[in-house]
Amino acid sequence: MMNIPCPFCGARNESEFAYGGPVKPDRPDPNAVPDEDWTAYLTRVPNPLGPVQERWHHVRGCGTWLTIWRDTRTHDIVEGPSDAG
Amino acid sequence: MAYDVEILRLSPFALFDLKGAAEALEDWAPELSGLPGDPNALARNGEVLHCHVGPQHWLLRAPLEEENRLDAALRPNTAPPEISLVRVSDTLTFFRLTGPDAGEVLSIGCPLDLLPGVFGDTAVSFTELFGLKALVLRCAGGFEIAVEQSYGDMIADYLARATV
Repeated sequence: MMNIPCPFCGARNESEFAYGGPVKPDRPDPNAVPDEDWTAYLTRVPNPLGPVQERWHHVRGCGTWLTIWRDTRTHDIVEGPSDAG
Repeated sequence: MAYDVEILRLSPFALFDLKGAAEALEDWAPELSGLPGDPNALARNGEVLHCHVGPQHWLLRAPLEEENRLDAALRPNTAPPEISLVRVSDTLTFFRLTGPDAGEVLSIGCPLDLLPGVFGDTAVSFTELFGLKALVLRCAGGFEIAVEQSYGDMIADYLARATV
């Protein structure tokens, strides 16, 4: 179980949050990039062995969306929101 | 083991959901003066509670008899677009848990640290209770909790089962 740092509430139990998926790169212009790059943007989900940047929603709390860096090997939150309480 | 706790389902309250900058809300309606600025803090003015439950988000709770007067004073239908005032009295069901073991019973379904040093008399927060979103605050001798009204019977049953 993780304690996720919420900017408004402080550290809260993981069960109060909903996973919002990894942070993806900026959406490219499909008319300006090769098909391979566009397909990669649409279908490839970041899944590194190590820190990954993720979005979480404090759905059973204050409703804030926040971004953290989580290590997929240890579940350690290696970097929380900069304004986390 | 039985817990020494009394569980009471409370009568409905007048509830208003308030969103926007505190200054804008306070400028719009004098009834909203003194909104707490600290996160997850509440301000009591007699039986009226102002609960700071999210960024630029407050919940006003008052006795149900005050609902029409507050509705007229807050004028939600004519509020400027930068603030939002919505009457939500029908959405939440409140329970009061009092007694020496109130915290023990609540901690069965709630991950929040409810010790007085962390969750004091002026604390209020949305959190999880038996898997649901719930509002938790302190009251004399225990805690008050609120869940969506449609889950009221289920939570009453869960709390009754948790105490035996």
